[in-house]
Amino acid sequence: MKKGKKIFIFDDNEELLELCTIILEDLGCEIKTSATSNNIEKQVKEYEPDIIFMDNWLPDISGIEATKKLKANNRLQHIPVIYFSANNNISALAKEAGADDYLSKPFNISALEDMVKKYTDTE
Amino acid sequence: MKNCDAFIIGGSAGSLDVLLKVLPSINSAISFPIIIVLHRKPGADQLLTDLLSSKTKLLVKEIEEKEKINDASIYIAPSDYHLLIENNQTFSLDNSEKINYSRPSIDVTFQSAAEVYTDKLVCLLLSGSNDDGIEGLKKVKENGGKVIIQNPRSAVVSYMPAQAELKVNIDAILEIEEMADYINQLSES
Repeated sequence: MKKGKKIFIFDDNEELLELCTIILEDLGCEIKTSATSNNIEKQVKEYEPDIIFMDNWLPDISGIEATKKLKANNRLQHIPVIYFSANNNISALAKEAGADDYLSKPFNISALEDMVKKYTDTE
Repeated sequence: MKNCDAFIIGGSAGSLDVLLKVLPSINSAISFPIIIVLHRKPGADQLLTDLLSSKTKLLVKEIEEKEKINDASIYIAPSDYHLLIENNQTFSLDNSEKINYSRPSIDVTFQSAAEVYTDKLVCLLLSGSNDDGIEGLKKVKENGGKVIIQNPRSAVVSYMPAQAELKVNIDAILEIEEMADYINQLSES
């Protein structure tokens, strides 16, 4: 995988953010995390990530609403959004949000790494 | 004679980094189990086990109900359950109310282990921001075990080990770099 890919993770679980950061930095990625979907478009625009991981449940607007906003924005809609959830209906939730893919919680390291590689090894 | 039958690590905010630095240097033929109780939320359990496993040759696994405790293994308490040690040296998981806003509670595990392992128990309390672990360490001392803490002056979050230093008769205060050697020296050669 190419080094220096930028990943933005939205989740309110601090432990998950800390673990994902350590794991993905080991892969050579740059990571930014946020526990809030507040001003989602501004947050994403400022960081310009190569891939976004979005939790279903966020304290401000839901993951679905946040993803819809990103996918409706001409400047941001090209960024792959991977939906995170422990919900059994994750496939339907991801589809409703307009996400590019999804990852069921709990997931292991290789599932996380595979997802990053799938959406960042395309160039 | 074996001087340690179980080594238990309790930690909260700021502890993950300590574990990632200490585990790679722990002897892979260690003569006792290492049991880790971290304050955590559900959702990242598999990631934590995978990540810690990638840092050591020892078996790392999340604890299951009634599981037998084996030497030379690292056990991680699952989120949302209190972890108890039974007299027959198996684990027991309990989902009763949170203690010190925490489940798992470090106190619960330290206290139950103190009764089982008595003077062959060593407990280490790491970085953290609440009072959990203090009563447990007192119980470990009452039963003849050893209690050690991460140096609060260099911990990411000093409150938890600092409270232990104030309230418990601590056997040793360790820097991160000293922890693996301390643990290895407890093992039978």
